[in-house]
Amino acid sequence: MITVSSLTKQYGQRTAVDNLSFDVASGRVTGFVGPNGAGKSTTMRMMVGLTRPDRGETTYRGVSYSHMLNPARVVGTVLDARSMHPGRSARNHLAAAAALASIPARRVDEVLNEVGLDSAANQRTGGFSLGMRQRLALAGALLGEPEVLLLDEPSNGLDPDGIRWLRNSLSAFADGGGTVFVSSHLIAELAMFADDLIVVGAGKLLAAETVATTLARGESTVSVRTSQGVELGQLLERHGIDADAADGHLSVRGTTTAAVSRIAFDNRIQVTEITETRRSLEEILLDMTGASAEFAAA
Amino acid sequence: MTTTTLPTTAIPTDPRPQPLTRQRGDAVAALPAALRSEWIKLRSLRSTPGLLGAVVVIGVLLSWILATFVKTDPDTHLPFTIGETFVFSTWLTMVLAIVMGTLSFASEVQHGTLATAVTTQPARWVIVAAKAVVGSGLGLVMGVLGMAAGFGGAVLGGLEAGDTSGSLATAGWALLLTALAPMLGLGIGMIIRHSAGAVTGVLVWALVIENLVKSFAPASFTRLLPFSAAAGLLGIQTAGDNAETMAAALTRVQDAFVFSGYVALAIGIGTALLYRKEAN
Repeated sequence: MITVSSLTKQYGQRTAVDNLSFDVASGRVTGFVGPNGAGKSTTMRMMVGLTRPDRGETTYRGVSYSHMLNPARVVGTVLDARSMHPGRSARNHLAAAAALASIPARRVDEVLNEVGLDSAANQRTGGFSLGMRQRLALAGALLGEPEVLLLDEPSNGLDPDGIRWLRNSLSAFADGGGTVFVSSHLIAELAMFADDLIVVGAGKLLAAETVATTLARGESTVSVRTSQGVELGQLLERHGIDADAADGHLSVRGTTTAAVSRIAFDNRIQVTEITETRRSLEEILLDMTGASAEFAAA
Repeated sequence: MTTTTLPTTAIPTDPRPQPLTRQRGDAVAALPAALRSEWIKLRSLRSTPGLLGAVVVIGVLLSWILATFVKTDPDTHLPFTIGETFVFSTWLTMVLAIVMGTLSFASEVQHGTLATAVTTQPARWVIVAAKAVVGSGLGLVMGVLGMAAGFGGAVLGGLEAGDTSGSLATAGWALLLTALAPMLGLGIGMIIRHSAGAVTGVLVWALVIENLVKSFAPASFTRLLPFSAAAGLLGIQTAGDNAETMAAALTRVQDAFVFSGYVALAIGIGTALLYRKEAN
């Protein structure tokens, strides 16, 4: 379990991370989301001692990263998949990291196999695609057989097959009792395998909750196609339900298909089509973080 | 502003024991692992054998050119001998060793691998110490190869052996210099943190600035400059030397202290910056 307490970081006048506190549970995949400039990367760097916080701390089952005897045995980290010397082979890149952490050399080939890079083990990383680099970076994180994975945008550059592989790998890691803390801008992707979400905006915590809870924030819309739209609209209004008529159909918010169907049936109104649309996690999160977005399209 | 952690899933108590914590002495115990890691990094790049090859080629060529085309020392007008020529290329070997030491750190910053190293070994001085030791080892190898090549080039050029009574001592001081040089480079790399900038800075200082300073500053000052001390250790003259600088020259022991002082200063400042700055 990871406990982040009151993390704060200021660069000049700008507060990158503002009194951030949250817990990350074991056995679950926790997504870390927020717009560009929300402080995600700074937070993750502070969590592994690369950036010194002005205030606050992060502990892993009670121990801070810098006080661990061998951090690579506890926390596997990928903060930048480009972090590798282009002239060094994948195997030697991992061998150097394994040696530094006193990890047996046999783990190098094991993790290369786990991430599907065994056939490219002796290739220099300068010729790797971004997807291959992501896989190699993840192999580096797995070297120490850690109980926590801390990953910053690990799906960048992966093809659809690679994304599915990553999703399955992280889910399996969490199912085995591991803790996965993963930032991603691919929210739809994250929604498919994350259990919990930490949502930040402008360095502040906006929400720490399950994905299901976040999804429940999204109001559903029931779309009804009927020749008696005006009549049904008036009936719904009488039941305190808002409805907008347009192009021969009604858009009804804040209710369910069952409720609309019952009202229509009770009043002998013929409905030719009725569908319920739930807002996506992406739309909900954009609403949550919209006001705090540092960079947004005009 | 105070933020509140919103209600979330119940966090189950983790039955596993706490991660082991670092105790006094653990960082020192991690040094052999860091040395292994640095050795793997060094031997896994093509630039390392390339550097050693360059040292050999420069050693052979310089001695051979002196023997074949220059033939006599311009200052003493005496013919060059093997006993003095074999060490001439060591000054360039030293410059290459400084560049190698510089790149051992600056390229890690450039390629982002420093962050990986620092997250793996939070006791950052361990990484510095490992780089210094491995760099020094390679510096020694470079020194031996350079002098052997210088000897070979002189023999190829047909030089006489000459007075070789001081050659062993000269070789010893030269090896001390090539062992210290990568550490100076490491310190410079840690301070400047930019491969091209650091290497350019070293070359411009060694080949231009120090010689310019010698042209106007008193010898009592210029003998304390790093590359003057290096030349003193090798017992050779450089482009900026003249009668005044030669008269004010330090002893080899003093030169060793001066050069070591620069190494200690660069490593000290660099290590302090490594702890102070963010690891990229």
